[in-house]
Amino acid sequence: MSTLELEQQGALSAEPELGERIAVKPKGADMPIYIFLAASAILCVVSFFVLDLNWGKVIERIPNLGSVVAEMLHFSLDKFDLTISTLMETIATTILAVFYGLIIGMVVGAFGAKNIAPWKGLATVIQCVLTFVRAVPTTVWALLILACMGFGISAGIAGLLFHTIAFFGKVFAQTFEEVPEETLEALRAAGANRIQIFFGAVLPASLTGLIAWSALRFEITFGEATILGMVGAGGVGYTIMAAVNSYQLGRAGLAVVLVFIFAYIIEAVTTTMKGKLKVL
Amino acid sequence: MENILELKNVSKTYSGNDAPSLQNVEFSVKEGEIIGVIGPSGAGKSTLLRCINRLVEPSEGQIYLENKEITKMNHKQMKYARRRVGMIFQHYNLVGRLTVMQNVMHGRLGYMSTADAIFGNYSEVDKRHALELLEMTGLKEFRYHKANDLSGGQKQRVGIVRALMQEPCILLCDEPIASLDPASARVVMELIRDLCREKQIACIVNLHQVDVAMEYTDRIIGMNSGKVVYNGGSKELSGEDLERIYGKPMGELIVGGERANA
Repeated sequence: MSTLELEQQGALSAEPELGERIAVKPKGADMPIYIFLAASAILCVVSFFVLDLNWGKVIERIPNLGSVVAEMLHFSLDKFDLTISTLMETIATTILAVFYGLIIGMVVGAFGAKNIAPWKGLATVIQCVLTFVRAVPTTVWALLILACMGFGISAGIAGLLFHTIAFFGKVFAQTFEEVPEETLEALRAAGANRIQIFFGAVLPASLTGLIAWSALRFEITFGEATILGMVGAGGVGYTIMAAVNSYQLGRAGLAVVLVFIFAYIIEAVTTTMKGKLKVL
Repeated sequence: MENILELKNVSKTYSGNDAPSLQNVEFSVKEGEIIGVIGPSGAGKSTLLRCINRLVEPSEGQIYLENKEITKMNHKQMKYARRRVGMIFQHYNLVGRLTVMQNVMHGRLGYMSTADAIFGNYSEVDKRHALELLEMTGLKEFRYHKANDLSGGQKQRVGIVRALMQEPCILLCDEPIASLDPASARVVMELIRDLCREKQIACIVNLHQVDVAMEYTDRIIGMNSGKVVYNGGSKELSGEDLERIYGKPMGELIVGGERANA
């Protein structure tokens, strides 16, 4: 092949003049994303002006944060027994709220799962109610309960139950719905009734899911239980709030650290457990 | 021999679908008789099986099981009637997380109180029976394995044992070998045939493999568009019959066996 021919070949593979560009995706395919981004930007700007923020003042006070944290880190053992007993109270509250929620949530979930509910309409109605319960914040539920039951731990548990049941009712229903219809059909064909099918196939098939969800919910409920103390439902939250209000920052700091340590332990335990569950 | 099952003028139309899935189906099954049901996909084979134990409600007609009209039964009576009808599925339909033994014991649920079922209180007699059946099907050593850990052929054998635990008078098998390799398929078909012969259980098997149907069954029911277009001895099935069942000339069918060379 001569040099000239080679040159001509090279010329062919160079970009020729083709006029119009060829699109690799239809025009406007990403339009929803652009609209979303633009809307978000507008909302940010509007929010900024609505709130009349004073960032200058915030920045000015940042050094205060340092001194508050420093003071909190000067742990004080003042009324330490009270801190521990209220922490135990919060943990016990969490355990009971999750336990009651688990039992009730399982029943709610069974009736809220389309594949095993006695009729599908009931499942839809239940899921609607659960969505409503979840839409109202836990603190609001707790305040409502406090208003009728008075302050205290039992009101705290009752307040926590709303979201715990609503959570379990939704995720358990989803877990139950993942059990293949064919499996249910097999037991139906053997003459099993609804309850027998639930305990024979649905529950064993979804057991790992239920345990994993319960572990996650335990973490969330513990956080909520701590916050509930601050609205008057007792527990370590109340201790932290009372200490901060009376400027005993060292005492509050120790309580916060204890809460953090317990939350971390839950996290570590559930992570290990989930790893083990996968083998099952 | 006595008729164990009798279908009279059974039709089924699913709501939202004009074309009936079953149209005036009539046949009867004698005690211990093995029947193959063949026909193209959508011919109504699965619907037919599920109408027999009323997992699907027939729109018209009467079905008699052991001389009792099950189409007249209420919910509770039907549950009792279903215990005498074992069912085997293409996808085995076991609970994967449970052991072979637990899955097999599910065949007894219909005979148990709800409380016993919740706590898994199976009777010792039933468990002994289960072990015997597992031994017969070569699964005894797998009794504590999880169903998920078994091969397809083994799973289907668990399905067969579960169905037999019901002490059925008839087995309904919905494409029992459609997901199995040829060797497992043979094992499963032989088990179904031999166990049914031994225990005098009637059997209706939906099949896609014409040669398997001809080899393992006494009688073949051919279906097309919801209608029974052939009902006769499995050895007498002719090429014309097959063309009528599948609605295609023989040249366009793979029927396997000796006929393939004919």
